[in-house]
This record gives sequence, C-alpha cells and structure tokens, in this order.
Amino acid sequence: MASQSYELELFPNCKVTLALFDGVENCQDLKRCIMEGKVDAALLNVSMIIEPFQVLVSANKAFHVQQHGKMKTRNINSEILFNLSPTNNISESFKRFGVSNEDKSLLAVVLNDSNGEKLQRLTEQVEGTRIDMNQLKDFTDEAKIKKVYKIQDTELTNSTLLDAVICRMATKDAS
Amino acid sequence: MEPDGAPTSSVGQTCDVGKLIKQGAEARVYSTTFMGRPTIVKERFKKKYRHPTLDKKLTHRRTTREVTAILRCRKSGICTPTVYFVDYESHRIYMENIENSTTVRDYIASEQKETQETNPETLVSLAQKIGTLLATMHDNDVIHGDLTTSNMLLRQPVDSSSPVVLIDFGLSSVSGLHEDKGVDLYVLERAFLSTHPNTENIFEHILVTYRKKSKKSSDVLKKLDEVRMREIGRASCRERV
Repeated sequence: MASQSYELELFPNCKVTLALFDGVENCQDLKRCIMEGKVDAALLNVSMIIEPFQVLVSANKAFHVQQHGKMKTRNINSEILFNLSPTNNISESFKRFGVSNEDKSLLAVVLNDSNGEKLQRLTEQVEGTRIDMNQLKDFTDEAKIKKVYKIQDTELTNSTLLDAVICRMATKDAS
Repeated sequence: MEPDGAPTSSVGQTCDVGKLIKQGAEARVYSTTFMGRPTIVKERFKKKYRHPTLDKKLTHRRTTREVTAILRCRKSGICTPTVYFVDYESHRIYMENIENSTTVRDYIASEQKETQETNPETLVSLAQKIGTLLATMHDNDVIHGDLTTSNMLLRQPVDSSSPVVLIDFGLSSVSGLHEDKGVDLYVLERAFLSTHPNTENIFEHILVTYRKKSKKSSDVLKKLDEVRMREIGRASCRERV
C-alpha cells in the first residue's frame, strides 16, 4: 500500500495517514513549506520509527492534549514530533525526530485528510518517490533508537524494542 | 450511582471505556483494544468525600507513581505490561493486556495438585525467578506495595524460561529505605502463606534467592525479621485483650 490510514479508537472522528517517501532531494524546501503553512503535515525522520504503532501512539496523545488545550508546541503536527521524544525538550525533539535538510527519506503524517487533499498537496511538493509503507523497517536504525531513547540491553531481554520505546513515550510526563 | 458520580456498571458490562472486568476500592479496570492491541484501562475514580483540588492532586500523584514504577522496573529488565497512554484528565492508564496468562497464584495451586507434592521442582524454580525479580526491583528502589501471587503472571505455555510478569503497581513508590523493602517482602510473605498452604519451603527459596541476588539484602532481611517480630507482638497483644 502506498499510504496507510488509521482510525484511533479514542478519537473515532480523527484519521491518521502515513506515507513513506525515498530519494527525496528537497527536505529543506519541504520544511519551509510546512513553516509557511503551504503543507499541513508532520515530516518524520524515518530512521527513528520502528513501526506505525509508534506514530499512532504519538498522534493519539496529540489529539488528546489538543482536545484539552494542553499542547506543549504550536500545532498538532509539531506535537506529534514532540510526543515521539523521550524528553520534554521541544527543540531537541524537532531535531531528533523531524527531517533534517540532508535527509533523503521521510515519513509523512497527515491528520484528518478525509479526501486525500492534504496528502496530495504534500506529494506535489516532494521531489522524491512515494514508496510502500512495508519498506519502513528498512530505514529503521535500531542502534540510534536505543541511543536516543536510552534503552539498555537488560530491558530488551524481556521486552521488544517497540514496547520499550512506547512505554517511554507514554510515561514521559510522569517523571 | 457510583462513588464518583459515574453511572452504575456491573462487572461484565460494556461502556464507552470498555468492558468492566474488575472494580476495586481505588479503581475500575476495563478491557478494550488500543490500535487493535488488547488493552487494560485502569481508571481511578474521584473520591467525593475529599476536597476536589486535593483529590485531583492525590489521584494524579498515584497515577504518576504507578507509571513511574512500571517504567523503572522495565528498565531493570523486569517484565511488566507496556504502558500505551496515560490520560491525566480522566485518570486512566491504558496498558497492555497480558493475555493467555495464568496468575502465579493459580499456577502454584495447579502444580501442587498435579504433582501431589508440596515442593515440586517447577515451584522451586519459580521461587528462584520471583526472588531474582524482587531483588532487582528493590535494588532499583522500587517498592511494589501490593505483592501477592495474584499480581504476578506467567505467560502460557509456562515453561522453565517463562519470565514472571509483575502487575498492579497501584500502591507503589520509590524508596531506598530497608524498612520499606522489608515491609514489601512481609506483605508478600503474609499473602503467600495465607493463600498457599504448605509453601513455607517455597517461600524460603524466594528469600534465599533474594539474599543471593540483592546487593542490600542482609539489611532488608533484618528489617523483615523486625517486622515479623512486631506483628507477632501485636497479635499477642490483641489476644490478651
């Protein structure tokens, strides 16, 4: 499937669409498009993503805090980046989980795109190819993920990497 | 009407949170799915007899303590459910539902029944796993607060490599005090020996492993002895009266 859409049980009217792009030449421009409001999406650094579930957990929390007026960042797209991070440092989360200018691939997250218009507008701006979501795991950098999320091998004896990441994302506010 | 004003629901009924599977003094537990994954929702309810500001603060603190303990245990290699989402507005914790599992409580009972022994090899090895788990937990200064064999799960099929999964951190805290750890063990001892007849030997194996594996075990076990003495003293006072 070229892109995948998900519905969240807790927010039944909200839709999350993911699309994977490779061979991207213009990440810097795309970031500018987002800042200028030409494109309504979150652009994620694919190497930090293990599975779509990780993004959905982040999106779920983003919808929740938006509903309660408790977002920590400017808009819901940046909130998704922030929720992926194991720390509460906003600029660090953008740097680590957002695309950087030199990246050649990206994972786009588009919210509430019922008629596919937002994704279409984004795709038009991307100088790259949309590829199948199944290829996501080819981009995952487990060593980097372990480093950023500070996951030791002790934890992984009885847990998957995904669960270790999700738990940190979910319990970030508690500490 | 429930104590927090929620419509009365009985165990087994489904509402918008999920299917109610347990109601305790502190919280209701529901079963549902989260992104297709089987999930438990633990919802702490409001205590109307408390001042609302205080109630909100205390409930919030209990919720954060619970998830902090879960993460702390995970980091040290202890098996716990994965926390998916914490809703601090409704005080709900969405976490992994460990399906296809048995409680250690049921496992002990069934092993004793099946083998017709009080100390089968399987239970000795289980005791060692529990001892190791508790040593790790206490060495990381996590106090579970409600250690019972119902709060320990084994994923099926149970074999020698199955890890013990620790659940229900609702009363947990972080503490380095030997006294707190001693009390934690005492709670388990009381729960263990009252639930499972003729298991003194098995419990002893837990403590022997704990002593071996924990770095501060001798101080903690000394405190355990003190707590035991205190309780015996109290019990005999009650008898006299």
